Amino acid sequence: MSNHAVSTKPTWAGGKSPFKISYGKLMMWFFLLSDAFTFSSLLVGYGAVRFSFPSAEESVPAEVQTWVKHNVVPFKTDNHEAFHDHGFVESMQMKGVFSESHWPAPDMVFNHFPGTHLHLPLMFVSLMTFILILSSVTMVLAVEAGQRMEKNKVQLYMLLTIVGGFMFLGCQAWEWTMFIGEGAKLFTNPFGPVTFAALFFLVTGFHGFHVFSGVVLNIIIYLNVLRGTYERRGHYEMVEKVGLYWHFVDLVWVFVFTFFYLI
Amino acid sequence: MAHQNKTVDIHDEENYDPTVWVPKAHSHGTRALWKTFWLLLALTIIDVVLYFMMDPGMSRNVTFIILGIVKAAFIVYVFMHLTYEHKSLKMSIVLPMIGVVYLIVLLLKEADFWNYLNW
Repeated sequence: MSNHAVSTKPTWAGGKSPFKISYGKLMMWFFLLSDAFTFSSLLVGYGAVRFSFPSAEESVPAEVQTWVKHNVVPFKTDNHEAFHDHGFVESMQMKGVFSESHWPAPDMVFNHFPGTHLHLPLMFVSLMTFILILSSVTMVLAVEAGQRMEKNKVQLYMLLTIVGGFMFLGCQAWEWTMFIGEGAKLFTNPFGPVTFAALFFLVTGFHGFHVFSGVVLNIIIYLNVLRGTYERRGHYEMVEKVGLYWHFVDLVWVFVFTFFYLI
Repeated sequence: MAHQNKTVDIHDEENYDPTVWVPKAHSHGTRALWKTFWLLLALTIIDVVLYFMMDPGMSRNVTFIILGIVKAAFIVYVFMHLTYEHKSLKMSIVLPMIGVVYLIVLLLKEADFWNYLNW
């Protein structure tokens, strides 16, 4: 157990860590970089398809837009008298607000909030964003506590992060349920072009699966923290590694939010 | 093998063993973390406000993409601690992402042309 031959090697030949981090963390960074490329392709592809269609404001006549503003925005979306016997989506189709020839405005599509029928555009998805940002903070607090070797704090913040992850997944399930309930499928879309629904399910589904994987990884690491594995190992770097993954999931959501709900 | 020896120093750079070596971890405090949280929250609220304040169009979209990149930068630099990492790692992560910015510009221009063709 005397001196290793390794240490005499130059830095770039395996003598030292050239990036000054452990190999596991370095590989996590490079995995995330490749995952960033995957998500970039999906999101930029979505952006390209979206911009190849005209927007609602360009295609819907001005008097219809005024009608929508006065009848939809201040009132309830479902069962409102302005829609007569038709539902919200069907009325919008009849008015030409939703049509296959142009991209729908996101505030007309994502306007539901649990427990109310009011027209609340983008409010639910903002809540989802808030939940994910908050779980990112608890994750980074767990990492910070790990750096100080405070097992109890790591435990607490890891648990909060897992709860946040489940809350986000629940929100996404509800969002999908509403969207599917109104008739959106992979190959049909009452709100506009079919590619809109197809890419929505593909990209938010791919992101949601990342969140799910992140929650599973967090639970595994949380159980290891409980068992004292990292206390014995002498460092909490595994918490840092899953932390990197979890923050990346939050980062991707920033762009899913931007592209699908704002643009 | 070093990792079979229980007394091995996992931080030892002279006796470097890539299977166990980790740099010494030290906390940078929680102040910057909470600051970043409030910043991300504020930028998200600004996003929603701008959605209703600004007229739909390219300038609004570009504003959203820039705000998104700012949020992403804060997540990567503060939450993922990239700002405390070695310069070589920073460059390895940040430089390849410039290609993505180029991809955005390229495909938006292309999509504008698809629109023009009225496919």
